[in-house]
Formats: sequence, structure tokens, C-alpha cells
Amino acid sequence: MGDIILTMKGIDKSFPGVHALDHVDLEVRKGEVLALMGENGAGKSTLMKVLTGIYKKDSGTITYEGKEIEFKNTREAQDAGIVIVHQELNMLGHLTVAQNLFIGREFKKGIRIDDRKMNEEAKKLFDRLNVDIDPTETMSHLTVGKQQMCEIAKAVSFDAKVIIFDEPSAALTESEIEEMFKIIRDLKKKDIAMVYISHRMDEIKVITDRVTVMRDGAYVGTLITEECTKEDIINMMVGRVIYEEPKTESAVPKDAPVVLKVEHLNAGRMVQDVSFELRKGEILGFSGLMGAGRTETARALFGADPKESGDIYVNGKKVTINNPQDAVNCGIGYLSEDRKRYGIVVQKTVAENTTMASMQDFMNGIFIDKKKETEIADKYVEALATKTPGVDQLVVNLSGGNQQKVVIAKWLTRNSDILIFDEPTRGIDVGAKNEIYKLMNKLVEEGKSIIMISSEMTEILRMSDRIVVMCEGKKTGELDISEAKQETIMNLATREIE
Amino acid sequence: MKVEKIKQNAFVKKVGFNRIVLIFVLILMYLAFGALTGGSFFGVSRITNTLNYVYFLGFLSLGVTFVIATGGIDFSIGPVMYCCALVSGYSLITYGVPMTASLIMSVLIGVVFGVFNGYLVAYWKVPPFIVSMASMNIAKGIAAVFTKTQSVSWPQSSTADGWYRNFVSMNGIPVGLIIFLAVSVICAVVLNKTKWGRYILCLGSNEEAVRLSGVNVKKWKMLAYIICGTLVGIASIFFVAAYTTVQPGYGDQYNNEAIAGCVMGGTSMVGGLASISGTVIGVIIISLLQQGILALGFTKEYQYIITGLIVIAAVYADVSARRRKN
Amino acid sequence: MANKKAFGGLKGREIMVLGIIAIMAILFSILSPTFRTYPTLVSVLDNSYYITLMALGVTFPLITGGVDLSIGTGLVSYALIGGYLIVHQNVPVAVGILACIGIGLLIGLFNGALVALMDLPPFLATLCTCMITRGLGPALCGGFGVSWPSAIAEAGAFRKIFKFTTATGTVIPVGIISMIVLVIIMSFVLDHTRVGRYTIAIGSNKEATRLAGVNIKFYHVLAYVISGFFAGLAGVAYAATYATIYPGSGAGFELDAIGGAIVGGVSATGGVGTIFGSFLGVIVICLMKVGLPFIGLQANWQQIFTGIVLIAAVLIDVVKKKE
Repeated sequence: MGDIILTMKGIDKSFPGVHALDHVDLEVRKGEVLALMGENGAGKSTLMKVLTGIYKKDSGTITYEGKEIEFKNTREAQDAGIVIVHQELNMLGHLTVAQNLFIGREFKKGIRIDDRKMNEEAKKLFDRLNVDIDPTETMSHLTVGKQQMCEIAKAVSFDAKVIIFDEPSAALTESEIEEMFKIIRDLKKKDIAMVYISHRMDEIKVITDRVTVMRDGAYVGTLITEECTKEDIINMMVGRVIYEEPKTESAVPKDAPVVLKVEHLNAGRMVQDVSFELRKGEILGFSGLMGAGRTETARALFGADPKESGDIYVNGKKVTINNPQDAVNCGIGYLSEDRKRYGIVVQKTVAENTTMASMQDFMNGIFIDKKKETEIADKYVEALATKTPGVDQLVVNLSGGNQQKVVIAKWLTRNSDILIFDEPTRGIDVGAKNEIYKLMNKLVEEGKSIIMISSEMTEILRMSDRIVVMCEGKKTGELDISEAKQETIMNLATREIE
Repeated sequence: MKVEKIKQNAFVKKVGFNRIVLIFVLILMYLAFGALTGGSFFGVSRITNTLNYVYFLGFLSLGVTFVIATGGIDFSIGPVMYCCALVSGYSLITYGVPMTASLIMSVLIGVVFGVFNGYLVAYWKVPPFIVSMASMNIAKGIAAVFTKTQSVSWPQSSTADGWYRNFVSMNGIPVGLIIFLAVSVICAVVLNKTKWGRYILCLGSNEEAVRLSGVNVKKWKMLAYIICGTLVGIASIFFVAAYTTVQPGYGDQYNNEAIAGCVMGGTSMVGGLASISGTVIGVIIISLLQQGILALGFTKEYQYIITGLIVIAAVYADVSARRRKN
Repeated sequence: MANKKAFGGLKGREIMVLGIIAIMAILFSILSPTFRTYPTLVSVLDNSYYITLMALGVTFPLITGGVDLSIGTGLVSYALIGGYLIVHQNVPVAVGILACIGIGLLIGLFNGALVALMDLPPFLATLCTCMITRGLGPALCGGFGVSWPSAIAEAGAFRKIFKFTTATGTVIPVGIISMIVLVIIMSFVLDHTRVGRYTIAIGSNKEATRLAGVNIKFYHVLAYVISGFFAGLAGVAYAATYATIYPGSGAGFELDAIGGAIVGGVSATGGVGTIFGSFLGVIVICLMKVGLPFIGLQANWQQIFTGIVLIAAVLIDVVKKKE
């Protein structure tokens, strides 16, 4: 293993009300891939932002190539050879690929930008990385995977000595990830150090050399990847063992009535001819890799996005769903993966959010019946054990798990019988996760039916009665929980790519 | 997650800190103008002038409060108010349309512009500032074409049709103030106690979340613009009742003053947060300021400059308060 | 690809606007014989200079996803101040012109500071400067109209930049040459220099541009400075074309320029636009302005049509996006 290129020691950083980093240490060596792991909010991204000058550290030292340094901005970090490949893609959709690659450091001929040379250089770079992208193509016309490749190519083009990958695989298909790993292995040979932030245990095992784990803004420890097991890492991340037994048998009778039937649903590239049935009291898991079209299917079904064709039957009756209003009137509720954007109005109170979808039941003439509204909100705060000082609390002040409960309360107030949970536990800490699971189980016991979209295999296996697997916009399989195994699901989820 | 709580006096919490500060500003300003003009500012005529200004500007400001609450903007309100007053006034004078019908026509023209703006913003997703620019021009154009660029003088109090001026004051009773406050109360009730207001505020805060709750956001968004248009139509009645003469091609300056009143009152430019009582106090401050500037011997050009600077300051306060929160 | 360059380096939108110009010109010519005369052409061009200049400048803030509403009242204000200095303070014409442009530049800087540094919503910030500039000219110059030196006077030589009258009395609209030169220069700036590249980048994704190490505040402010600078130039053009500048006018001028830019394909949400497109869009607006009276419509119809055309131009984009 190579020499140490970068050391961060005793890094401390506080934001108002939050101690984000608590004397964190980190050590990166030349030619290695260091995994940086931890739950959401463990401080991984914050640490990297401190490193690259986006945040200013409160205390601690950063030593890079033997010298103590502190970057004022990403530009300085870049110039020194430390580059981040971001989680959210930082592309400029209106510019070309080459223009994106060299943004901020264009080749010039006098005062003129030399676009031709930029295109040539971009071509050379892509050739070196073995990716096939036309530098003159407009960025927004590329697939997400290709855009990610551009980001990596950009990092490489900085002559980077340290590259930080912040959840790079989140939006990639299996084959694109494989392609990316090839590039990473190449870079390793060139003695480039890499920090790889990811939640995907399997990737960590395949590509990284060492694993540094963080928890609640603090450094926990570092392991050699080859010598540790998944459980070792998980235990360090959560500080306790949380291994849940998967469900083996579905409790739902085979002849339970079908409450929702979707036939030949089509909506663009991401939803092609999807058909499935949902039975009363059932949790139907939707599994697949990122970009398999599960969220898109849910949104098309819910009327949030336009669909091209397809029939939807609710309780055996054919219904027309053209917009969310229609869906809500059919008794369908949708809980988005991105609560802050699609689920709640953060600047409004718990009570106001609870009654959002059923205002008409809380009217007293033309006025809103605030008393009734408070009552029902109180009722659900209690029933769902939502942690809030009161129903007049602004939702923005609640934690992720409790925000999710407010969204659930919204649909329960509306009396929705079919609930679509899209990544129900994303961004929610482990304890609250279990509560959400219990709640979902309670809901189906009460006769509600749930469609659960999840990217976490353990979640799918633990919660679902049946599992629909999607891949690249198509349904590739349907399994009963009794016959579902990780391997079979993965196989279906990646079938067409290989 | 840790939530920092600021302990507040119950009274302050109930009335709202901003509004208390605003009232102090108002009183101080009044006293300052009085002192600077050697006491001549305290006369009844200044109060009447200020109130006349408050009425029409107040209705404009109340209207635009609803639009800003949705996160949009409407700076066509001034010219649209002029358009209402000009077209209906011209019909009254030249075509002999009865007074009552003319007044109704004023409001209807406002409503039509509200529908037009709201439809384009809500159903076609045209950016609000583009819609504002377009309807500002269309309003000016229609007014000029319809009146053949002649100014219009509504009837004086002494004439048979002069009764409409009673809307502003009758036998010394400030009827206008009573109507304005009554409409403000209605607006406050609509905004805070009804489904309309609830949806308008919520969609201003997070439109997509409200849509995915099965709410017809387009309808409610359009409604905000229609409410605004209606109030602009009403504003035009109070404008002519106070000043009788209207000239085509103007009205722009009132956009800024109305938005100024609204933003000073604590309505946030990004939507979702609006206060009718704040708008009322804000409008009174702006109106007093306009009178004060004139009383100090400055021309209306200084009104423009000072109002412009005030809006910048108020919006900046809003922006930086939000930045601190995040 | 839909937005790849079509033939001759022109984009689809520009070809469409060229078509509209041709149709309008033909239509007006058929309906009114007096329209297709040389004086009308000169009149269209005379009317177009200050609008073109405003449009060239305002294209930059528009592409960043903002807008500059202060250019209309601004240019009148700058021309008033410049004229006041020349006529009442006896400064040389050149200094008056520099003052006109210089104040425009300063107001642009002020706008840029409000939008880029203080984070105010662009339409609101510039709406305020619109009011401020409206008051500024009259407040500084005492509220009277000002006439810059006339073309006959020696000091009025600057007017010849826009309109050259030969000894025999033939009027040559030489201003169009300056306009074409400026269109070429600004196209170069937008398409081939960092200033333009970063203007588009800011409109496309401001945060990503910042993370690329670009000093976005500088370039964001610069977009408004360019707009202010061209408003200053437009002030000079306005003073050169029209006899007298009246205080309090200018409200609504900005719409002709912004409308022109948007008709010419600048996106109302930023990131997209060309200088040549803006230029063509302005010609559409000017044809309407000058042409409508020829077919028997009152001049103010132009305002109504401009409003409708503006909405239509944006709707085309909206519908296209939906597909």
C-alpha cells in the first residue's frame, strides 16, 4: 500500500444547534480506495466539504502531501489536486459536454474560447477512460449514467491526486457501475487516492481497500475491507446489531380481493407495459435498481405525471386517473421518497399538513373548523406516536421519521385505502425505521393495502408479501415472498443489462 | 434534531413582533414629518390626503398580497387600475353608460385581467413577471386605444352622478376608511380561516406537495390572481372617487408602492407567508411617506426614488431573515 | 437533435423569426402602399436603435435567468442627465455621452449588486431601480425636458452616427451599420468568451457553476453591468434620434426590448438565447410599432400586440417543453 497523501486530524465543525463533526480523523493513501461509510447524517459529506473548502473547519489540521493546508474554495482544492465527484449531478444542461468538462478553465486563444481544442481534449480524455461520449453533444441529452461518466472524466482531467466519490452509483445502472469500477481500477494503478462514499455494501466489498466508519459526526474506526464482513461494518455504523429476519410466508390469503389492478401502463421510456395486481391487506414490494422505473410507475399510476396508455381498476371498477385529484378520489395516497419536496409543506403546521388532502371534511360553512382539525391531528399524533411538541408545530422542526408520520396521517385522514410508499425509510434513522415498519404492518392488518417501492433489499425481504421486480422501465418478474431470495431478485433486476 | 426556541411575550406573539415595530415606525414617521414641517403636517387636510391615498393603494396592496402569497408577482396592477378607471369612465362620459353600470364595469375589467393573468400563470406556467409585463402593456394599450389617449374626468360631487364619491367620504365621515378596513377584515378571514386562503398559502410554500395531496393547485393559484384583479377593480373606484381625473399611459408607480406596502407588512416574496394586517399598516406607512415627502417640499420624483429604496430594503430584510433561518 | 444548428449556423427559432419579419413586411406593404417607401424604412430603423441596444444588453440578465426592468426609464434618465450637462452645464458633447453611458454602467452595477450579491429577486430589484431611475433624471435636472444639440449644430455631430444626411438631402440610416457591428461583437462575447459562457452557465445551473470554481458573483453582476452599459448607449441613441427627452417617459420601453429578446428565442427561465435572435425579435417589435399606423390602427395597438406576442413567444416554449 502506498504512502499517506492526506491526513485529517481532529476536525471539528459546528452549525447552529448541531455539532456536525466531532474531532474526526481520516487518513488516505496513494493508490487506494478508501470507503467512507456511515448512516445518513453521520457527517461524511460535511467532512468532505470541509476538506474541499466548501465549509470552514472550527478546529483540527489537514495535511496534504506533507504540508498543512486549508482551502478557501473548491477551486483551490481542485488546483491542488483534490476533486469531488458529486452525488447530485452538477451539470450545465444547456452547454455541451466539452464545455461542461472545462467550465471555469477554458482553453483560450486571446480572449476567444478555443472550443475546438476543448472538444479535442475531451475526446482524448474519453478515449483514455474508454468511454464513448460525443464532446459536442448537449449535456441534457445524455443519460444520467453518461453524465456521471462526464463528472468522473472531469475529475480525472484535473490531474487529481485525490478523487472523492460522493455516492456515485446512486443513479447508475449495473453496467454503468461496472464501467465506473473499471475506471476506478485504472486510476488506482496511476497511484491516485480515492475516497468512496456509498451505502451499498456490495460495492464497498468489490472496489475498496479500507473502510472508515463514521457515526453521529464522530470517527468510529477503520477496517481492512478484505478482512471484515458486512456485519462488522454495520455494527460499527449503528453501534448495535440490527439484523432482522426476513419474512418467509405471506399472511395474506391467496383469494383476498384485488383492490387495485393495473394493466399495460405506459408512460415514456421508464414505464413500459407494466401490469400488476394489489390485494387487500397486502404489502406489494417494488424492487429494482435505481432508474428501473418504479417511482415513475407510481407517479403515472397516481396521475402525478401524464401516462400514454393503460387501464386502472380500483375494487374491480375501471377508473380514469388523469391527475392526483382523481387518484385521491379513488382512495389512493402517495408518499414520496422526497418528503420535503413532494410530501409536506414544511413551513406549515402538523395540523395543516394532516388535513391537506381532506379539507372538505373540515369545513364549517365557508370557514375551516380549526377545532375539528386540531382534534384529528391530535388523534393521529397519538396513534402514530409522532414526536412533536404540538400539532401547531411547524413541520420543518420535526425529524425525517416524524415528517413521514405526518404524511401518513395526511392519507389516513383522507381515508385512503391504497397507499404507495416510495422509499418509506430513506433519510430516516434506524430507530425510527423500525417504527415505520411496525406502522405499515399495522395498517395492512387494518385492511389497507400498500405498494412499497424500496431500493433496500433487506427492507423488501422483510416487509413484502409479494415482490414485483422492475428493470429499465419493464416489469421483469413477480415473486411470492416464500420464493424470493436476494439472488433471484437481483437477477431479475439486472436481467436485460447483461 | 434540536430546535432552538425563542421565548416570546404572549402579547408580542399574538400581535406579531413585526407589526408592533411597524406601528412604532408609523407613529415615529408621523411625528417626524410633523416636526420637520413645523407642525403643519398635523392638519386635517394632510390626514384626508393620506387616507385618500391609502384607499386605492390599500386595495391594490391587499390584492397583490394574495398573489405574492402564492409565490408569484403581479406588477401590472397599477396600469390595470388605470385601465379600469379609464375604460369605464370613458363609457360613462362618452357613451352615457349609467353610473352604477360603470362602477360594476370597473370591477369586471379588473376581474378579467385577474382571470387572464391567473390562467396564464397557473394553467400555462408562464413566468409571472412575463405575464405582468404583458398585461401591463395590454392594459395601457387598451386604455389608450379606447379613450383615444384622452384623459377622463369622472363627475364631480355636485353633479347628479357624483354620489359615487361618497365611497370616500360622506359629510366628513371617512366612509372609505370603514370600507377599506371592512374589506381588509374580509381578506384576513379569507386568507386565514377559509379553504381558499389555506390552499393559497400552502401552494405558495410547496406547490408540488399540495398537488400530490390531490388538490387542484391550478384552480387555487388562478383564484389568487382573480382576487387580486377584483381588488384592483375596486381600487380603481376609490381612485376616481378621490381624484376624479385619470390619464392614460400612467399608473406604473403604484405597482411599486403597493408591493412596498405588502412586503413591508411581512409578506414574504417567496410565497407561503402573508399578513393582511401587516399589509394594512404597510400601506398606511407608504401613503404617509408619500404625503410627507410632498409636505417637505420634494417633488414626486423623490417619492419614486425613496419608495424604490424602501422596497429594496424590505425585500432584503426578508431575504436575509430567511437566509439566517436556513 | 432539435436544437442543433440548422443550415447556415442559424437556429430554428431565428429562421422562424426571419419568416415572421418577412411575412409582416409583405403584409404591411400589400395593405399600405406608403409603407413600402424609403422614408418608412428609415423610420423603422430610427425607432429600432435604442430598442436594439437595450435588447443587446438585457439579453445577458435574461440568459442568467433574471431580468432587467430598469433599462427603459433608465435610458431616458441617463439621456436627460447627459443632455442637462451639455445644455445647461456646457460640458463638451463627448463628456455628456460618457456621462450618459457611465451612469447607466453604475445603475447596472447597482442592479447587479442587488441581484447577485444581496440575492434579491431580479424582477423586484430591477422594478425598484426602474422607479429610482425614473425619479433620478428629473430630480437631478429639475424636471424639465432637454434637447441635445440638433444635427445642424456643430455639437450635434454625434447624431450622424445614427442618421447621415447628405448634401442633397438624402437620409442614410448609417446607424444600422453600428448595430450590425455591435450584434457581431456581442454575439462573439456571448458565444466565444468566458463572459458569455459563464452567463449561460449561471442561467443553466448556478450552483454547479459556482462549484466549478467560477466567480459567479462577478459574472452575475457583470451581466447586469452589460445591461446597464447598453441602456446608457441606448440613452445616447435615443437622444440622437429624438429631438427632446421628456422627464417621466421611458416606462414601457423595456418591454419592447425584453419582448424582442424573448420573441427572438431567449428563454424566460434562463440558459438559452442568442444575440442575433434578440436582434431579430426587436425588428419584429419595431415593424409593429411603425407598421400598425400604416394599416389604420392607432399606435397604441402596438402595446397590446407586444403584450400578446410576448405571451405567445413564451407559450411556444412552454408547449415545446411539454412535448
